Parts: sequence; C-alpha cells; structure tokens
Amino acid sequence: MTGGRSEDAASPGQLPDPSTTAIKRATAVTALGLLVQLASSFYWTPITFVLAAALGLPLVGVGVVMFLRAVLRLMKNKGAF
Amino acid sequence: VLPTYIVVALTVGLAVVGLLYFGAASVAGSRWGRVALLVGVVALPLLLSAGTVSYGLRKSTETSFCLSCHEMQQYGTSLFADNRAALSAVHYQNRLIDRGSTCYSCHADYAMFGDIKAKLNGLRHVWVHYFAKPPDKIALYQPYPSANCLHCHDDARRFLEGPAHQPVLDIIYQGKVSCLDCHNLAHDLKAREAHKLWQAR
Repeated sequence: MTGGRSEDAASPGQLPDPSTTAIKRATAVTALGLLVQLASSFYWTPITFVLAAALGLPLVGVGVVMFLRAVLRLMKNKGAF
Repeated sequence: VLPTYIVVALTVGLAVVGLLYFGAASVAGSRWGRVALLVGVVALPLLLSAGTVSYGLRKSTETSFCLSCHEMQQYGTSLFADNRAALSAVHYQNRLIDRGSTCYSCHADYAMFGDIKAKLNGLRHVWVHYFAKPPDKIALYQPYPSANCLHCHDDARRFLEGPAHQPVLDIIYQGKVSCLDCHNLAHDLKAREAHKLWQAR
C-alpha cells in the first residue's frame, strides 16, 4: 500500500508526506476563505457581504471537508477502521 | 468596516490557520498538536465564518444597508414625506416599525421562507446594481401581500374597529381584497421633489 510505505518513510513524530500535503492544502483553502471574509470586513457593502457569504464561507467549508478527508484517509491507512 | 471584535477575531483566526499551515507536519506528531489542528483548521474557521455571515445577515436587514445603493435613496427620503397618506412615511415617522430596519419590516415576507426569499431577492438586487442596468422605474416582483400588513395589524384594535375596515374584514382575511387597494400610496416620491419633508427634532 502506498500510504503504508510513505508512513514508514516518515520520521517519528511527523506525518507521512501525502497526508502533510493534503492537510496543508486544506489549511490553505481554509485560510483563503478566512482571508476573503477578512478583506470583506474592511469594506462592508452589499457586494462584499455577498462575497464573504458566497465565496469566503464555501471556501472555509471546502477546506474543512478536505482536512477531514485527509484525516480520515490517514486513520484508514493506519488501520484505525 | 465591521466591528473591531469581528475584524480582530478573523485576523487571529487567519494567523492561527497560517501558523498551522507552516507547522502542519511537526504539529500533527503529538496528540495536542492534532487537537490544535482540529480546532485551528475546523472549529475556529467554522465558528468565525458562522459569526461573520450571521452578523452580515443581521446587518443586511438594516435600513442603512438598503439605502447604501443609490437606487434606493429616493425611497429612503420618502420616509420623511410630509404626507399622512403615504404608508412608509406614516410607519416610519410614528415609529410603528423599527427605524433601524424599516425597509425589511415591510419588504420581507413573514413565515418560514420569508427571510430566505428576501435574501434571494437581495442577491438579485446586488447583481442588477453592480453588473446590470437598474430599471428606470423600480417595481415589486409581485403584488404586495396583505399578509405582511396583517402580520402586525391583524389583531390591532385600531384596525379591527376601524369603520372602513369592518365591512371588509372577511374579504381582507380571505385575500380577496388587498390593503393596498385603499391604502395605495406606499412611497410618496413626489414629496421629495417638492421638498415637502418632515424633519424630526
């Protein structure tokens, strides 16, 4: 199994590379969502509110789902299920 | 600008997510690190987003929010029309509705999906304002529902005992007659042009 091999290759106390990449990607998407909301909060108009709600919020949601998927995949690879 | 506490909370949240981005590999090695990841990448951003959007939704019901588009400003001024027959002016000036959410009080349907419908209409307004040409004459999407009037006036004594209302109460409740059939001036836009405006002290 690919996941098992990369896990073996990782140093102790660190995540295997594919999981780190997936988690970092999820974190980046979440950060982007928060950034959109933060930028909107400085100039609150109808259009920036729509941006925060229709772009910022879904980005955070997608980031969270990506993170949870990465964690679940990691747990599966470790034989938690 | 949104209130400082929201801006600060979003900044802190973004900083936490940023730190976790750069330290994801090492942080995930320990149990507490994994808890930090879960809180920082899942719970905190969701909480902050929910807070921001719910604050935004509340702000979007405010009169100032509606009047931030210039197309609506004439309707905002009509709230000060010196005309006792103009519905919006009477309601606003006599504080029959909350002045902070005047537009929303009358232009959002009540019941389960009223708010959602109002928000979808609002989205359409935003689209037209920024990306299309607003119509020369602004009109409602559908005839004004009397249910919105009855939401407040339904069991009001002045409404029930009004001599003009009593003979038609049944057909009003059945929806056969609209309140606006008689009270047919919602916004007195001419008062603005004629400078016939009431000014509160």
